[in-house]
Amino acid sequence: MTGQESQTACQALAMAIREASMAGQLVGKDALLAELRAHNLPDPGEPGVPDMDALLAETLAANPDLAALTSISGEILYHAQPLLSRTYAGILDSKSSPVRLIAEEVRRNSADYPRPLPLELFEQSPFDLIPEQIEAGLKTMAADPEFDDISFITTSTGAVYLFSSRHLERPYAAFLAERADTGLFLNP
Amino acid sequence: MAAEKGGFGGKVLRVDLSTGKISLEDTVAKYREVLGGTGIGYKVLWEEVPAGTAPFDAANKIVFATGVLAGTGVPCNGRTAVTTLFPSCRPQPLVASGHMGGHFAAKLKYAGYDALIIEGKADRPVWLFIRDGCIEIRDAGHLWGTGIRRTTQEISQEMGPECVVAAIGQAGENLVPLSVVMNSVSHSAGGVGAVMGAKNLKTIAVQGSGSVRIAGDKSEWERLVKFHLSILGANNQHVVPSFPHPQSEYYNPSSRWVGAPGKRWGAAEPPVEINGGLYDLNRISFRSNSGAFYLGDQAWRYTVRGNGCTGCPIRCHTILKVPSLEAKYGIREVAQNTCGGMVFGRSFFKQLPGGLTGPVALEACMVGMHMADDLGLWCNYGQLQCDLIKLYYDGTLKTKIGSDEYASFSWDKYENGDPAFLFEIIPRIAMRQGELGQTLGLGTGGLLAHWSIPEDVWTQDSATAYWKLGHPKHHANEDDGQCGVIINTQYNRDAQCHSHVNFIRNGLPLAVQKKLATEIWGSPEAVDGVGDYTPMNIHKAWRARWSLVRKEIHDSLGLCNWMGPWVASPLKERGYSGDDSLESRFYALATGAPTAKAYARLGLQSVDEGLAAKELVPGVKG
Repeated sequence: MTGQESQTACQALAMAIREASMAGQLVGKDALLAELRAHNLPDPGEPGVPDMDALLAETLAANPDLAALTSISGEILYHAQPLLSRTYAGILDSKSSPVRLIAEEVRRNSADYPRPLPLELFEQSPFDLIPEQIEAGLKTMAADPEFDDISFITTSTGAVYLFSSRHLERPYAAFLAERADTGLFLNP
Repeated sequence: MAAEKGGFGGKVLRVDLSTGKISLEDTVAKYREVLGGTGIGYKVLWEEVPAGTAPFDAANKIVFATGVLAGTGVPCNGRTAVTTLFPSCRPQPLVASGHMGGHFAAKLKYAGYDALIIEGKADRPVWLFIRDGCIEIRDAGHLWGTGIRRTTQEISQEMGPECVVAAIGQAGENLVPLSVVMNSVSHSAGGVGAVMGAKNLKTIAVQGSGSVRIAGDKSEWERLVKFHLSILGANNQHVVPSFPHPQSEYYNPSSRWVGAPGKRWGAAEPPVEINGGLYDLNRISFRSNSGAFYLGDQAWRYTVRGNGCTGCPIRCHTILKVPSLEAKYGIREVAQNTCGGMVFGRSFFKQLPGGLTGPVALEACMVGMHMADDLGLWCNYGQLQCDLIKLYYDGTLKTKIGSDEYASFSWDKYENGDPAFLFEIIPRIAMRQGELGQTLGLGTGGLLAHWSIPEDVWTQDSATAYWKLGHPKHHANEDDGQCGVIINTQYNRDAQCHSHVNFIRNGLPLAVQKKLATEIWGSPEAVDGVGDYTPMNIHKAWRARWSLVRKEIHDSLGLCNWMGPWVASPLKERGYSGDDSLESRFYALATGAPTAKAYARLGLQSVDEGLAAKELVPGVKG
């Protein structure tokens, strides 16, 4: 593969990743390979052609807006961050596993902001879980030691907030939940 | 009339209602050193109002002042500071200011004035007519006793659609300390309505045909305005959306950026769908919906659109239309306001069927806005409603008013959260009817004194939010630890400072906030996680000072401290930094002053002052 052909392949890959992100989708290696074939570009790994991993690495190096994400399935997925942010991509990737989706989002928010999350958030886009899925997920977490850090708090209005005890102590989480549920509205 | 000097309207208008004398002063010659807005207000009160003057004395003055950036193209420039001796301050009246948005500030500038100083007291109800250089004190006998809406309509019909009307309602006429002056239908300055009432001044109406001259480079001005737009967030400069979005790395369920794609202004004709990119500059107004923030998703269905102030794309005054209200309560189906004004009615109730975001809460808000925004009643940042809740539920109220008066209220409606109760309580406060109505309208300080209730009964009950001098705390320790406390000590009323809280609540992760804090205030230790406060340090003190200075600068330039400052932004490519020098750069361009002098004048020598602050910390190098 010539330098020109390599550049063309990288451009095609970048465009495919951006188009997928624009459509709200993460894209994996297989789909990107199909994209190269659709452009009649040499198959990666053929004699004289860099393998797909090398092409993708080159693509990411040349396009700072692009990023890779290790899926919960272990697959490497790609996205264009201005069009599909890391956070949003992570949510999309975890949607196949409501338990992991809830747990990881709760842990990340407890660690980073920090804040507990209202349970009803998970019924909204892009989580889009139905109440039965959420209830089942919470039961699963309650029975699995892997998720024993995920806990909940009920505010004065009856709203339920989830937090991770790895990052938030219960009294502080309770304060933050009450503040989010009522304090911010009563103190405009 | 165009001002010769850039930025300024050029004149300060002084009207003596006792003598009818109308005079002009040169703004730049007399007031440039205090910038404008509260600067002019404080200067006039300090230099011209004798010690011992009471708020309703003819010797008290009320100053409507805006600033250099009002009426320009700068985003969020619609503010007028109204400074006077506050009747709600106890144990003695003190100088404070109320702040109104709307279009009064711009019209005043277009008429050629940076400020209006009202002196004396008319011997009969009057209103003030201002049309460019034509100033008249006109009879308001036909308006006295009418509400703000009727007054606004009548004056508008008389002057024409281009005027702006700032009026008091019956509360101000009746000298209720908790009263407002309101312009453009919903934009009010709290605590000052009764001072106008005491002067027999029902209304100020302004029409201006001029413009504000920008003295500096016009293309640089345009560039800076566009840059400012690019770093705007939503209401209160919340810089991340409340919902996960493909274009945003962060989200915050508590953010006021609630305009998610697919939501609709359902009561618009035809309905308008929130669409386009998250950061599109011609869709900034889609981001905020105060109705949806305070009343939940139900509000989208009733939203007509966002309304707001001159030059402000945020549009925080949400217009709500609830047709069923007319049949159920006999009130208008449309109301608009934001924050405390929007939740005025809801806040009276300790509990409501369906909670804070249920349909009954929506009705309570609509009924409250309908009455309070017409009668011109002020909530004292929610303290009025807290007072009633405490008085009723701790049993004090029953011992303070007569049994007949007590029985005249439908307390079952109150306990059950029935918005119809508002028709019993709000008018009585505005009209000073009965012991309860009269006493609640005094404000907390007056209430406690009148009923001989020790102040610490209120200060020790956190549910009241009471702080001092008759007023509540406002973004104090509950929001921002030591910084909030320091800021709240500096004013004779609630602090009204948003410089600090707009940063704390901006929605960014704590690590990003600390990164920005390092850039702005010299250390990540300038900011704590909310409610997780570390010991005081010099950087927090620096941030508290910065917040206060920035508020006063905004209040003196005509900018909105509810929206600014803009030191954080939604822009990932900027590391979420905003710009700490916007105000001084705009000031320099508007007035033509050299930038360095503008920095100095505004106290915004951020680099120098930042270094100076760091020098105070051993081992920290600038």
